[in-house]
Parts: sequence; structure tokens; C-alpha cells
Amino acid sequence: MPRFRRLIWGAFIAAVAGVSIAIYRHYVLGASSASGAFHWLKDGIHYQLLEPKALGVFLVLPLLLFALGRSLADLPLPQRVLSILFRLAFLGLLGLGLSRLVRSEETHKVCTVLLIDVSDSVPDEALADARKTLEAYAKAKGADDQLKLVTFAERPRLIEIYRDDQTALPAVADLRHRTANGKKLTAGSDIRAGLALSYGLFPPGYLKRAVLLSDGLETDGDLLAEANRARGFGVTLYTVPYRRPPPGEVALRSLSVPDKVDVGQTFELVADVYASRATHAKARLYQGEALNGLDGVRDLELKPGRNELKFKSVVRVGGEVTYALRLDQIAEDSFKDNNAFSVTVDVPGRPTVLYVEGQPQRASYLMSALNAQQFDVDLRTPAAFPASLRELERYDFVIVSDVPHEAFPLPAQELVERYVRDLGGGFLFAGGEAGYGLGGWAHSTIERLLPVRMDAEHRKEMPGVAMALVIDRSGSMTGLPMEMAKAACKATLSTLQGDDLLEVIAFDSTPVRYVKMQPSRYRSRIQNDIQRIQPGGGTEIFSSLDMAYQDLSVVQARKKHVILLTDGQAPTQGIKDLVQAMLSESITVTTVGLGEGSNQDLLRMIADTGGGRFHAVPDPNSLPKIFTRETELIAQQAAVEDWFPVQQAAPADFLKGIAINAAPLLHGYVATQLKPAPAQLILQSERGDPILARWRAGLGWAVAWTSDVKNNWSIDWLRWSGFSKFWGQLVREHMRVKHRRELDMKTEMLGGNVHAVVDAFTADERFDNGIVSKLIVTGPGSGASAARRELPMRQTAPGRYEANFPLDQYGSFLLRAEHAKPAENGELKPLAMSYGHVTNPYPREYASFDPDLERLTRAALAGGGTVDPTPSKVFDPAGQKIVSYRPLWNRFVLAAIVMFLLDLLVRRVRLFDRKFLPKRR
Amino acid sequence: MVLSGLPLAQLLMIAGGAASVTVLLYILKLRRRAVPVPFARIWDAVFRDRQATELFSKLRRLLSLLLQLALLALLIFALGDPKPKASLLEGRHLVVLVDGSASMKAIDVKPSRIEAAKAEVKKLVRGLGNADRALIVQMGALPSPLSTMSSDVTELDPAIDLLSASDTRADLERGLSFAVDSLRGLPKAEVVIVSDGVLGDVAEIARHLDLGGASLKFLPIGKSGTNVAISEFSVRRYPLDKSRSEVMLEVANTNDRPAQVELTLLGDGAIIDVSRFALGPNERLPRYYQDLAGASRTLEAKVRFADGHADDLPADDHAYALMPERRRARVLLISKGNTYLEAALLLDEYLDVTTAIPGKPLPSERFDVAILDGVADPLPDTVAAALYLNPPEGGVPLKLGARLSDFGFDTWDKKSPILRFLALADVQVADGRALTPSPGDRVLGASDQGPILVSGARSGHPFVALGFDPRNSDLVLRVAWPLFVLNAINAFIEEDTGYISSFRTGEVWRIPAPSAVDSATVTDPRGAQHVVPVKEGRAVYLGEQAGFYKLTAGSGSDAVTSEFAANLSDLAESRITPVSELSIGEKKVAPISIGAPGSKRELWVYLLAAVLALSVIEWITYHRRITV
Repeated sequence: MPRFRRLIWGAFIAAVAGVSIAIYRHYVLGASSASGAFHWLKDGIHYQLLEPKALGVFLVLPLLLFALGRSLADLPLPQRVLSILFRLAFLGLLGLGLSRLVRSEETHKVCTVLLIDVSDSVPDEALADARKTLEAYAKAKGADDQLKLVTFAERPRLIEIYRDDQTALPAVADLRHRTANGKKLTAGSDIRAGLALSYGLFPPGYLKRAVLLSDGLETDGDLLAEANRARGFGVTLYTVPYRRPPPGEVALRSLSVPDKVDVGQTFELVADVYASRATHAKARLYQGEALNGLDGVRDLELKPGRNELKFKSVVRVGGEVTYALRLDQIAEDSFKDNNAFSVTVDVPGRPTVLYVEGQPQRASYLMSALNAQQFDVDLRTPAAFPASLRELERYDFVIVSDVPHEAFPLPAQELVERYVRDLGGGFLFAGGEAGYGLGGWAHSTIERLLPVRMDAEHRKEMPGVAMALVIDRSGSMTGLPMEMAKAACKATLSTLQGDDLLEVIAFDSTPVRYVKMQPSRYRSRIQNDIQRIQPGGGTEIFSSLDMAYQDLSVVQARKKHVILLTDGQAPTQGIKDLVQAMLSESITVTTVGLGEGSNQDLLRMIADTGGGRFHAVPDPNSLPKIFTRETELIAQQAAVEDWFPVQQAAPADFLKGIAINAAPLLHGYVATQLKPAPAQLILQSERGDPILARWRAGLGWAVAWTSDVKNNWSIDWLRWSGFSKFWGQLVREHMRVKHRRELDMKTEMLGGNVHAVVDAFTADERFDNGIVSKLIVTGPGSGASAARRELPMRQTAPGRYEANFPLDQYGSFLLRAEHAKPAENGELKPLAMSYGHVTNPYPREYASFDPDLERLTRAALAGGGTVDPTPSKVFDPAGQKIVSYRPLWNRFVLAAIVMFLLDLLVRRVRLFDRKFLPKRR
Repeated sequence: MVLSGLPLAQLLMIAGGAASVTVLLYILKLRRRAVPVPFARIWDAVFRDRQATELFSKLRRLLSLLLQLALLALLIFALGDPKPKASLLEGRHLVVLVDGSASMKAIDVKPSRIEAAKAEVKKLVRGLGNADRALIVQMGALPSPLSTMSSDVTELDPAIDLLSASDTRADLERGLSFAVDSLRGLPKAEVVIVSDGVLGDVAEIARHLDLGGASLKFLPIGKSGTNVAISEFSVRRYPLDKSRSEVMLEVANTNDRPAQVELTLLGDGAIIDVSRFALGPNERLPRYYQDLAGASRTLEAKVRFADGHADDLPADDHAYALMPERRRARVLLISKGNTYLEAALLLDEYLDVTTAIPGKPLPSERFDVAILDGVADPLPDTVAAALYLNPPEGGVPLKLGARLSDFGFDTWDKKSPILRFLALADVQVADGRALTPSPGDRVLGASDQGPILVSGARSGHPFVALGFDPRNSDLVLRVAWPLFVLNAINAFIEEDTGYISSFRTGEVWRIPAPSAVDSATVTDPRGAQHVVPVKEGRAVYLGEQAGFYKLTAGSGSDAVTSEFAANLSDLAESRITPVSELSIGEKKVAPISIGAPGSKRELWVYLLAAVLALSVIEWITYHRRITV
């Protein structure tokens, strides 16, 4: 071949290669099959390349051309051209075959899936009918048609009905589903799952038909929604309702209680009993473990269909109460699971009062009064005060009476404050010898909570106090004890009023007046004198007490008192007589024994004889506090111990029906001062001091009762006929209104899921948004053994909060939603509660037995089919066609064989230039 | 080996014919061109060469013939579509659960996760052994099988092409149940989950997981994902002032870092509010719009990053809501004249009241509510609900009890929407009749002498019956009277404030529809129409697309149309960060290894490929005279 022609030929091959590659890249590799690049429609027939990349076969064309150009074969040019064309056609046909060209075609073949309900609600007779229907379908099936069988109960199953091309229909007894060990799996009906399984059974190129044989009762899924989906899958759904009457069956469908049940109130439980035919049974209603007292056992004559039974009952003790209704001795009954139904109801009990008493042995008076007023009273010592708000939340009202401040730690005080302010609790602080200022409550959290201040303004009017402090300055007091004793003296000084008289006598073997009897107003001088006390030696009590006696007996004061502090042993002779003499002149003696070395018997005797108190103090650091408290007590800055009538200062609802002005006299109270409004003074003393004051603290009430609630200052009140009513009404008005707001909760069981919805509105009927809600589900059952789980409720719309959760256990469940709103500081403040209950007594399969014909009719309508079709109708294409795709690769292979032979012919037989004529020039 | 293409006899016929022709063509000698050669010595050399290579030439010729015959044999064998006999080699049975949830619309892998999943599943199918069979299932709110259990690539491939992602979450539990049902009794069963792992609370599934012996495999999809979402969007009418409503919208940042977002609110297609704000990591921010101006019917919300770039999941960036429409209720009043009743009906401008004379034929058109005032006219099916006032014997679908006198409401159901806002404590009634409710009926109000206000339903038609003539009481003089009448009508026509015209995709919707119809038509956001069944006044439909829907019940002039919206509203689905390892409870799902592409092909493909290769070789050797 001349060089020029070679170049031309080479360029041609290169061009062919370039164009081929470009075409392949652009039209084959660059096009997405989804874009429809390899779909064609011609004369109503769709063509499609499934593997267009196989068209790359054409890319060998340049190689063939190259080989042709270098050919040594002795072939005329036309034959060479023909040969390359035939070879190209051969490869092209193979390429088309490999690229899987398919074409659409219409067929009329029908594949029918028979769906047979084999759940427990289907009687055996109906199953036998279904078996006959299956036989009829097997007979009606055309040669090209297909028939498949799916049975379903809790789950669906594909049953092979053809073995080795022979029909092998299952026996009726084999239709019900069981596990390998014989356990029944028929306590549910999921028609939807059966239909969904069938979608994967229709082979391509067949008209899809599904025939549902069922009673239409479903426990899971939704047939109507699935029927619509079936249509979307191209499946025509027919339904064949079971016509057999349901088996003899009695089922308890529901047991309902009123929304609100109160203790002691008679109410009705309503039971819904289904009977498939007239029969009789015995019903037993249990309240908890015992038969229901009012209406426990009943013989029933049941009519076919729905029967409504009403039982009367009453709850005597509040709390969660479970009612269980059980049916037995039923004449005709197929399933036992549905013969019992239980429901749990939360009955609010009597209001509960937490009563914390500093002197529990004297708590019976108020306890009895409150019990008589239908309150449950939980009496506790200060040490047993609840440790958490959650525990405190159980109470409707809290009373703290006559408890010293040091016995009521700060965390407990803060709990009380939160209980009142945040939970809306009611709180009464009652006085006594350790109440208010006497108990050291001034400037405490409780004072902040109460409507009264504890620094009484009447102190100035009170008569003076003469106080003698007799301090041991023996050698054993050297160091810290002496310093703390001085501090205690100074604390006493600061507690006394200016007109009160104070004397300090320090003694060792002899007494020395360090501070002569003088008014307390000379504080700096007295303090300096106290500071001068130095330790000495020996301990002689009698002479020092006698010195104090002598000095006190000559001064004028409303109260005269001696505080004797010692840490050692001393002669006892004459002391008792001396103290008796002092008491006869209204001089009282309190003793303080410091350390273990003190003669406690002597000191206790002095205190008992002297009308005072004995304090054994192991730690010198406690001395100032004890002296202060002792001084407050004696000086009676706060306590007013006079007989006085109570006067009503302002009206109050809780005083209705109580002749408060005719109430007996009280014998004392702790003087306090009313805080400014909104504090309300309800009862007062003759002097105008608060006896009963109240105010709203946060969401709750704080009430101050400055007298006591026992047989000391209120001793006459205990005998008063209005005592019980007074306290009952007071507590009732101020107690916590549990669940200040109650929001309705709607609960619904769909399938195996519970859907709880709460709608929240504000007082002006707008939507209450931004609530943080949690749902607490308790059950099955009640009490401490009941399982409990918490889940959040999400806001899904203005004012709407929802929660969904699966319920896979049987029994009665209580639902309680707690709603809170975030405060500005981010803390959640309780807002409202919601209550509901759901019951899932037994598998839903046993709740209903009458066929749901409406559901089956609607399903057939939605699925494009009919009810009760004949088998021939189902297998009749009725003009319907379905498009399927036929692969064409084998046709291309056949054509390729022909091309192959033609190519061979062209190469083996000289067809042109047979005479070998030379070319004419 | 079995032949599933042309039968053997036919193949042999074709082979015989083609081989005969081939051999015949080889027997024919190609006539050589005669070329005069002037020099005899050259011929001597030629003949010497020829004698030396004659045997070799014969061999080349034979080789060429054999090559052609081999080509033919391969072609004809391919026509027979040979397949290994399946009974000799029991293969695996796979159910391939392809996640079709909203998160699979994420575009962190191009073009999207679902397209990536389709490509992976195609690889998986091609990597299957010859005896393996697979069922392709789209796992959405409900499992949707798209093929049969097949080994045929031509069936599986189109099924894979049909896979798509919807605006729902994938219900893995249902998907696995379906897989177990499909694999029951089949050997070597495997379930393959093809997913990004955004499958909700799979720990809950672990409690019930029973695969019945099938092994579980996981094929992860997706790389990473940043996303902001509108996780709630709904409108609700105020309970008192029904002409106004409130909108709630919640925007969520599902990323672990803060995001600046831009929220656009459109009313009736026009922008009415654009706001930009910051969201903390994984923060949900609710926003409320009271008395929103600028929208009369439709509301749409769109969210995107404030810097303008889109996130990886556009599906949850757009939400839809409809302003509650107050449709005019058609009320049929059958009364001899009752000023109090007529006055109460005048208070609501959305009531179309038609008055009928007792005993005369009733109008034939459809009514939402009929009020029968002391009359006993039978109602046709075209009346959806009825309010009976002081019904005579036989005029109400329940029994009348004893005559009552001088009574009032001692108890009433304060939770009932019909008695909402009503104070009935001191209503005085001169006389009336006690009502005897049937099982299923609800006593809404009762005196100490018996029930006097009862609600219920008969054949899907709800009713409320009042056991006395309101004019014989002081009820008509109270605010409670018109409230009672209007509440009852509102309850009948679903104008309850509890109704929210937004649905969640992936759930079965029960859309209020006239109870007299059997079916209704739902028009989805793409315009496709679906005929759906109506049962107990609710159209039942499983919606899987977000957007605006229309429900049409009845036809012609009686057609009742309502609209509603649907949204994804699923925060779990918006958290699109994919997982590379899937654990169900404490059980880690094993990853699946995809076989080499092409190992699962029909034999004919290999045969044709061999033919192709041989034919090219033959072509080259022929032209280079290696074979002749």
C-alpha cells in the first residue's frame, strides 16, 4: 500500500476510533438510565436497553479496520467491504444481545394469592369453608395462571400448594399456625402483613389478584390503608367474609370506672360483656384481692351481643385500687383469656398532714383533733423530717410545732420553703417554749417564710429582768472554757434589754462580784468588767449562790434568775435549802455543767429545785448559745405567759361556724410582729400581738400560730368543743390543693400502641405553650411492685402535648403526666398534672368475634375488587392486560449466526472479480 | 446444567445446519487470481516453498475451520441459555431491606443516599452466586416488596430502579418482620439492611427481635451530614375565638455545633416573615405566631443556613400548614317555631340554616346537622347528624323514660366538647322526660331523676338528645343556651379545637369525611389521586409525602372538599449523621461483603463474550494469513 494511502487509512481508523469513543462516552456512559436515554416507544411497544454499557463492543471496530488494512487475504475490495460490514453486524448483534435489549408485551395471565385468616376468632367450620374455596380456586385456575396461598394470624405464612407440579392443598387441621413444639400462634390477626407478604409473590408478567378470606377483625395493622396500598402495587383485592356464626363465646370487653372516685362515695363500675349466643355465667368482682363488698358475685343471663353490667362499689381507703371482674361457669365459651378484665383507679385518699412536734409525747391533742376532722396525720420528730421534696410532696399540709431551731437543720427549712412556694403546700408554724424567738428561729429561713417577724416590739414595755451569772473561775476553767464563759456572759448582756439588770459573780474558793448589779445599758463597762475575770483555784458554789441570792433579793424585777456555770466538784451542804429559799422569792436557778468533771447530780438538783433547767455542756464553744437561749427564755422577751382571750382581727373563711370570740382563754404565746401586707392578721392578743397570721408564700400558704397546740398555753382550748373544728377548718383552707391544675388527658390504644394527648389552655383560653411534660406509666397492676417508666411528652401543636409508647404487656396501666414550666432561672416549676388509664387485658383477638363485614366491603372497594367473587371471575382477566418485558438477546444471537455464515461466505467464496480482469487504466 | 433457552433438539438442528454450511464453505477452494509470471525460476522457488509448507497450510486451514466451528458452537450453546441445576447447589435467600426513609434523601453522597443505595444494591445483586435468590424491599413506614424472590437480574434490576425515599421514617421492626415472614422455611436465609442507620430507637426493637435463624447483615450508606430542620409546624384555632388561630413552628439544629439559620414563612405563597437567629448545638427552638397576618389559607415554612448554603437534607427544610378553614355548616331546622333556637342559630355567621315544616317532605340535599325541635320526622341518610330537643316517643333513636318535673342538671360531663364553657348548676326545668341510653351511648347530663342529655351514634350518624323543651326551663335565658346549640353543631362538623389539620407522614391518617359516603378521593401533593375507603366518617389513608393534600367526598354539587397538610415532623429522621456500624440492642450487625461484580451473570453472557473475543482473534489471524 502506498504511503499516502496508508496515511489516509490510518487517519480514517483514528477518526473512527475517536468518534466511536466520543459517542460511547457521551451517549452511553454519560447518560443515566433513569433519564430515559435507553427507552424507546415504537408502535406502542416499549424497548429498553438494560445494560447499555455492553454497546462498547462497537469499540473494536477500529481494530478490525486496522487488521483489514493490513490484510494479506486475497479478496476483492467489494468483498472486503462486505466482509467488514457483515463482521460489524455480527459484533453489533452480539453487543445488542449483551446490552439486554428488552421489549414490552402484554399478557393476560393471572396470579392469584389466596389470603386465609386462621386466627383464633375464626371457627373451624369457617376454616373448612376456606379450604373448599381454595380447592375451587385450584380448579378454576387456567394452565398459564398461578395460584398461591398465604395464611395469616399473628404473622403471615406462605404455604406451598404445589409439589412436583402436583396440587397438594393443606388439610384444615394444618392451616392454624403453630410453633415446632405445638404452641399456637393464632392469638392475633395482622391482615396488613398478609397482604404485604403477597406483594412479593406475584411474578412479573401476571395480573395480580388477592382474595382475602377473613372475618375482618384485625388486631394489628390497618386493612383499609393497606387495601389502598395494594391498589398502588397493582393488586386487585377481593374479599370473602366468613359466614359461619362465631363460636360459643363470652368475652369481657371493658370495665370502666368513673373519672373521679372519692373515698367513701358509692359509684358504679360498668362492664361490657359480649356473648356470641344466649348463655349464662357467674361474675365475680374483686376489689384488690377481696370480693367487692357491695356487689361481689352475680349470676348472669347473657343475651347474644353486647351486655352491659353495672356493679356498685365504694372505696374506703384512698390510693390505687385495682378492680378485677372475672367470669366463670360459662355454659358456652371457646377462649378463657377474655374472661377477666381489670382496671386500676387512683382514688384520692384523705388529706395527709405532716405534724413535726418538738415534744412528741404531747402531740396527741392536735393529732386527735385532725383525725376527727378526716385528716391522716403523720407524726414525726424533727430528726425524721423528710429528706426530699419528693417525699414532702406527699403531704397536703405541714405543721412544725415547738421545735428548737437547732433541731431543724437548714436543708429541712429550705425544703419547707420550696414545698410552700413551689408546690403550693400549706405550712403552720406553732409556738411553744421552743417556738419563734424562744427556739432561736430569728433570722432563719422559716422566719422569712412566715408572715411574722420574731423580734417583738413590746419588749420595751415589759418589766425588767434581774440576772445573776455565777461563773466558776477555778483553775480547771483556764484557757478556752474561761474565754467561752466570758463570751457567754457578753452574749447574755447583748440579749438583755437596757433596763434589765445584770450581775456577774466569778467564784473559786470565794466569790467575787466582777460586775455589780446594774442596768445592761452600760454595756461597754460591763464588758470590760467581764473581761477582767481571771482563773483562780478551788470551787465553792454555796457562797457564790448566796451572794447572788443576796443581791437579787434586794432589786425590783419581774423576773430574777441565776445561771450557775461550773466544771468541777464542790461541797453540796446547804445548797438545796438555799435554792429553795431563792425560789420562794421567785428567784430561779439554771445550772450549766461544763465537761465531764462537773457534779451533774448536784447541778441537776439545783436546777430542779430552783425551777430552772440543767444543761450538760461537753463543748465550751456551746456556752454562748446556751446562755443566750436561757436569757431569752427567762427574760421572756418573746414569751408572754398571761391568760388572755383571743380576738378576731379579720374575717377568714375557715372561722365560719366557729364562735372564736367564745373560745377559752389561752395561757401564753410568743410575741412576734406582723410583717407588712399581704400578711393578714386573723387572730390577736389583747395587746394586739399576732396569735394567728397568714399570707400567701409563692403558690402556698404560710400560717403562724404564736401560741402552742398542746396542754401548756392551750390547755383550756383542748377542752373546747370548737378545738377540733378550728384546726380542721384551718388546715383544710390552707392545705395544698393537689395538682393545682389538672389538664385532661386523652388516651387511645391503636394497634399495640398507646397514644396520649394533653391539651393545655391558659386561663383566658389561649394555648399554653412551652410546657415541659413527662408521662409516667405505672403498671400493669398497682402498688410498689408495679413497673414504672417515664417518657417525655412532645409539644406537637399550639397547646398540644403528645406521647406514644408500645404496650406489649397485658393488664391495667395508670398514666400520670407532670407538667412544668421553666422559670427565668431555668428551674422547672410544677404547673399541672394529667391523669389517665389504659387497659390491655388480653390479646385483642379475643375481644370481638362478630365479622366486620363493613371493613371487608370497604377494603374490597378500596382494593378495586368485589366481595364474594367467584373463582372464575378472579382468574378472568376481564380484558385486563399487563405489560411485561421480554428479553430479545436470543434473537440477536440467532441473527448473529446468520451474519457469521454470511461473513464466512464472503470470505470463502470469490463473488466479485471472478475473471480476474486487470484494472483498466 | 439445564437449558432454559431453546430446547436441545432445536439447538442441534441449528448447529447441524450451520456446521454443514461452514464445512461446505471450507471445502470450496477459494479461486485464486491468475497472475501471469514471466520468469520460470521464480515459479520454481514458489513451488519449492509450497511443497515445503503444504502440510502446514492444511493445518492452518483445519485450525481456521475448527475456530469457526467453535465460534458457532459457543453461539448455539448460548442460545440454549444454560444454567446450573439449582437443586444441585442450594443458594442463599436474601431479603434486601433498603431504607426508603426521609434521611435517605440526604445529598452528602452524590446524587443522594438513596441513589447510592441503589448502586450498592445493584453491585450486591451482581455479586450474588448463581443459586442465590434475592427479594428487594423498600423499607418505609411499611415494607414494600418490589420484586419476587428471584435470581433473575432482569427482574431485580428494575425493582432496584423503583426504589425511592419518601417523607417518612423507616420502620425497621416491620421491615424485619416482613423479612422473617418472607424467609420462613427457606435455607441460608439472610436479611440485608441497606441504610444510613438513621432508624429511630432500634434498642426497642432488640427486645422483640426474632429473626428465626436468618442472619442479619448491614450495608452502610452515607458519609456525613449537616442538617437543620423544621421539626414541628401546625396551626390551631383558638377555642373561644374560632376566627383566629395560632401557629407553632419548631426549628431544630441537629448538628453538634451552633448554626445561624434563616427562617422564611410564606402565607398563600408570598413571603410574610423572614428571621435569622442562632441555634445552639442540637437545640430545638419553638416559635409561636399569634394572629398571624398575611395568610388566609396556606402556610409554608422554609429554613436554611443563614449564609445561604443548603444543608444535606432538603426534605425537612420545608414544612406545610393550612389555616383552619371555617366551612359553612348546613343545618336543617325542623321546628314549629322556636324563637330561642332561631336566635341561637343566628349567632354563628358560618351556619346555613334551612327551615323545614314538620310532617312535610324534607329537602333532599345533604345536611351536616338536623335539629328536630319536639318533632319526630324520620331523617334521610343525607343528614349526617341530629340534635333532638324534647323528642316525642319514637322521634329519637333511644327510649324515653319516666316523666320528670321540677328538676335540673345535678351532674354533667364537663369534659364533653358539647358542654364546654357551660354553667348548668342551677338550671331549673319545669318538666321533661328521662332518656334511656343504649349501650355505647354517653350520658352528658343527668338530674337526680335520670339522664336528660345523651349523645351517641346510630349507623355512623352521631346524635345528641335533650330530654326537655328548653322553653320550659330558664336555660334559654342563659348564655349557656346558644353555647350548647353551637357547641353541639361544632362537635358534629368536627370544628372542635382539638382538630388540627396537619398530619404526620408515615402514619395512617383518619381524615374527617361525610359519614354517608363509602369512599373519597385524596389528591396528593404531586397531583395524583387515590380513592380511599371511608369508615365511620373517616377517610383512611397512609400518607408518605409532605405537602398539601385535598380530600373530596361525594360528587357533583354534593361534593365536599377539604384540605389538609402533612409534614415529616420527625426529629429522629432529621438527625442524619450516618452510622458505619449498626447495632440492634447489644447485638452488632455484621457488615456484608459484596462479591466481585460480574460473578453473578447468566452463562450465556460469558459465552457471548467468548465469542466476541474469538471472533476478533479470528478476524486478525485471517487477515494476517495465520489462519486461512
